[in-house]
Amino acid sequence: MSLELFHSQVVPIRPKLYRFAFRLLNNEEDAKDIIQDALLKVWHQQDRMAELQNLEAWCMRIVRNLALDRLKSKKYRSTEMLDRAGEMEAAHQPDPHLAAEQQDVMGRVHRIINALPEKYRTIIQLRDVDGFSYQQIADILELNMSEVKINLHRARKAVREQLQNIQVYGLQ
Amino acid sequence: MDYNKIRALLELYWEGETSLEEEEMLRHFFVTHTAALPEDLREAAPLFRYFQAEKEQELPAWEIPRVAPLPGSRPWQHWMKYAAALLMMAGAGYSVQQYIVRHNELSAAAWQQDTYQDPEKAYQEAQKALELLSRNLNKGTEQMEKLAYFNEATDKIKRN
Repeated sequence: MSLELFHSQVVPIRPKLYRFAFRLLNNEEDAKDIIQDALLKVWHQQDRMAELQNLEAWCMRIVRNLALDRLKSKKYRSTEMLDRAGEMEAAHQPDPHLAAEQQDVMGRVHRIINALPEKYRTIIQLRDVDGFSYQQIADILELNMSEVKINLHRARKAVREQLQNIQVYGLQ
Repeated sequence: MDYNKIRALLELYWEGETSLEEEEMLRHFFVTHTAALPEDLREAAPLFRYFQAEKEQELPAWEIPRVAPLPGSRPWQHWMKYAAALLMMAGAGYSVQQYIVRHNELSAAAWQQDTYQDPEKAYQEAQKALELLSRNLNKGTEQMEKLAYFNEATDKIKRN
């Protein structure tokens, strides 16, 4: 891979990689570190470029693997994750009571999603927030399409059950 | 939008069978719908609003550092390597030169060390050396005389 190719194809997706790392780690500094390491790794594995069909998915996969390594190595316990739950901004709402209520609901949804196993959480993130196709998710997570759909279905089902608990019993 | 259509899409959504466009329609519906929702649709509303908020959420600002040009693209970028090699060569050359100069100085000093300041003593030392030479030379001459006798005897035998 030439330097020009690196600049034209890898550098422009850095913000997307950063967002992905940030959401996995919930820590700004660690996300920055991971991106630097990931770019270095991409550069060192430039020989593989020719075989790659989807460069973006490959970069995302590297970021995810590095983030998971970091989570394991540090026995990660993110306090920011809990902090952010309270910061979720509700839609503009003139009524302060309603705004507070909406913010509370956002915080609950955030906690539900963050309590999911990492694979489910990542699939929901990639599909419902980032808008990746099933094929792209399969490439990023090194799964086949049917596994992606099954995992997405299970993840959404788990979220739905928790949402129903909130709805019916006001739990969480 | 027709609630029944939303219900049908939601069922597909929970099964993981919706397309990205259909998911976008659902999100748009739940984010923009302000009137009270039928009870069976209420559970999904916070989720799609959460996704929307996540999409819109601004991440901490980060000045992405410029990727530094990587080494290897231009030969002149190795100037430090060449400079180091040049310095090492100059150092080695200087050392060799210093060694030769020092060696010459030491040789000259050693040569001058055996000279004598006193002429009388020098004369005696020279005489001793010449006597030694003379003795050894005489030893050689004696052997040569024996050889001469042998040659003479051989000649006589040949003549007879």
